[in-house]
Amino acid sequence: MSEMPDEKMKHVDEMTLLLYIERQLERARGLEVSAHTQECDECSTLLRALERESRLLTRAMLEEDEPLPSRLAQFQERARKSMQWIWGVVFGLAATGVYALYTEYIYPSQQQLEKAGFGGSNLLGLLIFQGAMWKGWQSMITLLEVLAMVTLAGLGAMFFRRRIRRGSALALVFAGFCTVLALPTGASATEHRGGQNPTVGKDETIKGDVYLTGERVRVEGTVDGDVFAAGKDIDIDGHVTGDVISAGRYLRIRGTVDGNVRSCGNTAVISGNLGKNIMWFGDAVTVDATGKVGGGVTMFGGTLAIDGHLNRDILFYGEEVNVNGAVGGGIREKGNMMIIGSNAQVDGPVKFEGNKPADVAPGAKLASPVEFKQMEKRREYRQSDYYIWRVIWTAAFVLFGMVLFLLVPGFARETINAAELYGAPIGLGILVFFGVPLAAIIACFTVVGIPLAVFVAGFWILMLCCAEIVVGAVVGNLILGRATDTWGMIGRMALGFVIVRIVYTPLAHLHVVGLLAGLGIWMWGMGAISLALYRRLQPVIAPNVPSAPYTPPMPPNTTVGGPLPA
Amino acid sequence: MSAPGITQPTEAITRARAGDAEAWGELYREYAPPIFRFCRRALPTREDAEDATMEIFMKLKDKLIQYDATRSFSAWLYKVSANHCWDMLRRRKIRQDKETDDLENVPLEHPDPSQLDQLIEQRTSEEVRKALDKLGGRARMALVMRYYSDMSYDEIADALGVRRAFVGVVLLRARHELRQALEGNAALAAGGAS
Repeated sequence: MSEMPDEKMKHVDEMTLLLYIERQLERARGLEVSAHTQECDECSTLLRALERESRLLTRAMLEEDEPLPSRLAQFQERARKSMQWIWGVVFGLAATGVYALYTEYIYPSQQQLEKAGFGGSNLLGLLIFQGAMWKGWQSMITLLEVLAMVTLAGLGAMFFRRRIRRGSALALVFAGFCTVLALPTGASATEHRGGQNPTVGKDETIKGDVYLTGERVRVEGTVDGDVFAAGKDIDIDGHVTGDVISAGRYLRIRGTVDGNVRSCGNTAVISGNLGKNIMWFGDAVTVDATGKVGGGVTMFGGTLAIDGHLNRDILFYGEEVNVNGAVGGGIREKGNMMIIGSNAQVDGPVKFEGNKPADVAPGAKLASPVEFKQMEKRREYRQSDYYIWRVIWTAAFVLFGMVLFLLVPGFARETINAAELYGAPIGLGILVFFGVPLAAIIACFTVVGIPLAVFVAGFWILMLCCAEIVVGAVVGNLILGRATDTWGMIGRMALGFVIVRIVYTPLAHLHVVGLLAGLGIWMWGMGAISLALYRRLQPVIAPNVPSAPYTPPMPPNTTVGGPLPA
Repeated sequence: MSAPGITQPTEAITRARAGDAEAWGELYREYAPPIFRFCRRALPTREDAEDATMEIFMKLKDKLIQYDATRSFSAWLYKVSANHCWDMLRRRKIRQDKETDDLENVPLEHPDPSQLDQLIEQRTSEEVRKALDKLGGRARMALVMRYYSDMSYDEIADALGVRRAFVGVVLLRARHELRQALEGNAALAAGGAS
């Protein structure tokens, strides 16, 4: 507070005067300020100046100096009208794509594996739907059922979204979905045994599934259900009517298992009887001379030795298959070596892709000669120059993105903003990804349409090249936050692009996952570009023509010439 | 707060809550222009304001269920908008103001009343808008919330995440910044008369 020569004339500070005109002072203090300003010219002048400043601010803010942008003026209507059919088409195309994927790849693979003897099971089924981690997949073996469940979950999410907040709705639906999926396993009783040596005793019978965890796991009695075992050594000497699902160093089956063995670990030795299939991720599986397997073997790992009897096929990816027993089906191996001993008998075709031909002993009985295929040279990702080229390509794309950002910064910003809407660009991207080439092909049938088709196809390829840059920019924004300047955008794009490349490079070599990841990036990026372009092409409303009635808010509570605060 | 000439759109809100697309259209047509202007004043660029307006209305579809019909719809909508804009600014880390501890150290002295009066007299609305663009995020946000949408001190405190007692200080600091931007003369805003 400033002081005047006269002690009685202490000025009111600016803060207090502001609070006074904003009606934020208590009544008593307000009266004091009012009385003071009536006596003090300087405070009175400042008070009036502050009030005028308030009015100037309000006026400056409320003035309608620019019309509502056309993008906003038409946002609601267009979003409502256009998105309805776009989503319809998108889901139609997506369904067609899924159907095509199924008929082109999954179904033929199933058929092939069926012919190879994996009756009732297929690679996809074995890997996913009959996965060791969750038995409930078995109850929904077909893709159609999975799709139906996902669709149901989506409808549930839509239903709840109207009633509760989005996050809660998704959580609720997800929880419900998981509960429904979990139901198949809840039908039977389960038991857990832990400790150093969890054991199912010789005379013991367990009805239902049993979970055994410990250093040495032993099943000597009967389990009328599945055995889930984790431990260093797992011995099944008794009788298991269901499956054995295990993770451990050694698995020895000397007893009888009516179902499957699905395990990961170091070594498995089957000396007893196994009713169905073996799926093994690990180093070695041996079916002893006394061992009998009712189904086939699917193995990813080191060495498979069959000295006993295998009723169906072998599908093997690993180092070596050594057969010196009976195989009721065929063998398909992709690995380093195949040795077929003199006691071997293989009733189905034998296909081997490896580095050197199979070593077949003279006494071996084969239904047909081994079909050998020389393994292709080392994959490119195992070669050092592959990474050098990846780096060079990454740098080239970043450079390309930088040029684009500098050329059309506004459009780049709009594209990134569009990409951050997630759902709409991905949906639109699916449409553009499939629809544009199709339209270009159709256009080629007309003479006039050929140049148009060439142009559209060229633009489509350009969008494809830019898609990863757009996704990179979004990732960069997620990490560093949005940038307001062009170089900030470029920096984020470069960072995000490198991260996308680092994540995508290993994924690209996983067949289906790589394909899906690539498609996801392309569709997302292309959709964002298309959405930004679509918005750009909207007609611009002429200046000074208001797009909607102006509705100014109420002016602030200034007290210019008004009463004192009460 | 309710905009003049706008009656409470109770019926449209009820229908919009039930998923009526026409009601959404009505609400959008009525409120999009003032909300865009709010965002335009609060955010650095026109593109940001456009994006923010669209995002606010998209968010509104989810949030409308939380609206208490006994309160003013426009006041609630401005509050949602203010929170959204402030979140945007915060995410971009362009909040240039000092923290509340520093706010307590603002010198509470008289500016020269006649100089201030003269400054205000000479400035146009357009100049004020240009000067607003030069302010820090919080200063601009505070002024917009108070003088555009007429939000209460409690609402401003809530949106900016400061104590209510500091809202006046934030506003006064914002006015000082604005004067500096208008005048290009720090001396006036800092005061000097007493």
